[in-house]
Amino acid sequence: MNNLEEVAKNIRRKIVDMIYRAQSSHVGCSLSSADIWTALYFGGVMNISPDTFEDENRDRLVLSKGHGVSAFYATLSERGFFGDEILKEYGKDGTTLASHIVKDVLPGAETSNGSGGHGLSLGVGMAKAAKIRDLSYRTFVLSGDGEMEEGSVWEAMLFAGQHKLDNLVLIVDRNHLQDGKDGQRTEDILDIEDLEKKAEAFKWDSVRVDGHSFDELIPALKETSDKPRMIIAETIKGKGVSYMEDRGEWHGKAPDEDEYKIAMEELT
Amino acid sequence: MRFESVRAIYDYGIKNGKMCFITGDYGHTKTEEFRSDFGDRYFNGGMSEQNIIGMSAGMAISGLRVATYSIVPFITLRCFEQIKIDVCEQNADVLIIGGGGGLAYGGAGATHYSIEEIAALSALPRMKIVSPADPREAYELTSQLLELGGPAYIRIGSGREDDLPVDKYNVKLGKAAVLKEGGDAVIFSYGTIIKEALKTSEMLKERGIDLGVVNVHTIKPLDKDTIVKESRGKRAVFVLEEHNVIGGLGSMISSLLLEGGLTPEIFKIFGVEDTWPKKIGSQKYLREELGISGNKISQKIDNLLR
Repeated sequence: MNNLEEVAKNIRRKIVDMIYRAQSSHVGCSLSSADIWTALYFGGVMNISPDTFEDENRDRLVLSKGHGVSAFYATLSERGFFGDEILKEYGKDGTTLASHIVKDVLPGAETSNGSGGHGLSLGVGMAKAAKIRDLSYRTFVLSGDGEMEEGSVWEAMLFAGQHKLDNLVLIVDRNHLQDGKDGQRTEDILDIEDLEKKAEAFKWDSVRVDGHSFDELIPALKETSDKPRMIIAETIKGKGVSYMEDRGEWHGKAPDEDEYKIAMEELT
Repeated sequence: MRFESVRAIYDYGIKNGKMCFITGDYGHTKTEEFRSDFGDRYFNGGMSEQNIIGMSAGMAISGLRVATYSIVPFITLRCFEQIKIDVCEQNADVLIIGGGGGLAYGGAGATHYSIEEIAALSALPRMKIVSPADPREAYELTSQLLELGGPAYIRIGSGREDDLPVDKYNVKLGKAAVLKEGGDAVIFSYGTIIKEALKTSEMLKERGIDLGVVNVHTIKPLDKDTIVKESRGKRAVFVLEEHNVIGGLGSMISSLLLEGGLTPEIFKIFGVEDTWPKKIGSQKYLREELGISGNKISQKIDNLLR
């Protein structure tokens, strides 16, 4: 797994670098998801690469937690979908790299997103299309935990369970923090738990894993059953940078020069 | 109109194996045929319009074509953001069919009226908006929208409307149809209420006023050429619509004419005057109450032109 650790570190360095240069935004939830991205794109989970991106049977990734987009850009560049130099445009006037993903602006970007609660329905549609078209691809949706408060998510959950979309995986980046300068926890705002019981009630399978452990993430992501799957990935917001970890203030803040240097040292 | 629009989906889907049809718990006549001939390309998505629209977009960007079908306010405004981002921003092949346009569900009250959705949807880039006047137009325009693809909304009625009492004309998406040439004045309209415009024209004829009637079934993109051509040289230009006077066809035509330097002596939009009716009743009753029936607007136009 050493190689994966290296990849995840590179992704984290790219995230911090983008957000430092742009002085914007959403570093915490990008860092929390870096290991999930690594598992999906480098851990042998998704059938996807720059060479096979036009293939109808490529696996699909829907970024639903749109504010975590810098992790997505960093992952795609690390995977070779485009060069690192494009990342330096992030946050500049005239860039196509919005701080929420826009479909087709970059190779590898399947959908537009940025408003919470849209991604699962898109993923449901993609998974349903695979059934109708008799294609074998799987669809992965990466959602934030705060986003699970949106009602549309539960409409989509209901549909996926009813239609037995066993080719659909919802990954919840469960970092327990949402916006709020005082570091408010989802439990104190709208408690989304008990997710396992909710999944079961909606006719889904579920598993809770350490979202920073490849040994737990990768098998959970690879496993299939006859139902849609929810992977509850327990993560730490700001993971990898000591002063950001589990600190609500780093939801939407960008590091200053000194903070940037410390972060990059820690990620060496 | 409902039957004709659904029949167009069926006919298109028989030829095109990628065509899917999702209803939002809104019945229609061809259910059995869809089940047997569309298989898993047809289903009822339940009372979950946000998911239906988002899912439709997901299906469309995965190589399918999708038509969704429910009552106007539920399948447009309730899931407006899904239409904005998932359908329009992604340029997805999703056709939204809204039943009960305007005040068609008169007795059901404000929850079921649609007098604001054209204002909202017309502000979405890439969205096409169509409102047929009769079953023949519903079939033709639904078919043409499917051929064209991309995000689209079609506003239909709630039942078995009659065909317009005019000679058959060519129904072409994006092209307004001149139903009656006018001399003194012209009225632009769309949807089933265009029959009231035709009635008005007949009534005014008896009073010596020559009112032209133009059917603007495609509201977006607007047929600017025909509208400007038919307005030029007219003393008065009117718009009749079963929609709020704010943000509908009247708003579009007023800015079009002003930008083109056309300033008729009289310009008036007849529509719902930014209100919900206090008393409810049939569509016919509501048109009378709100002053947008043939009787009412012919009196108003007569007064304005005196």
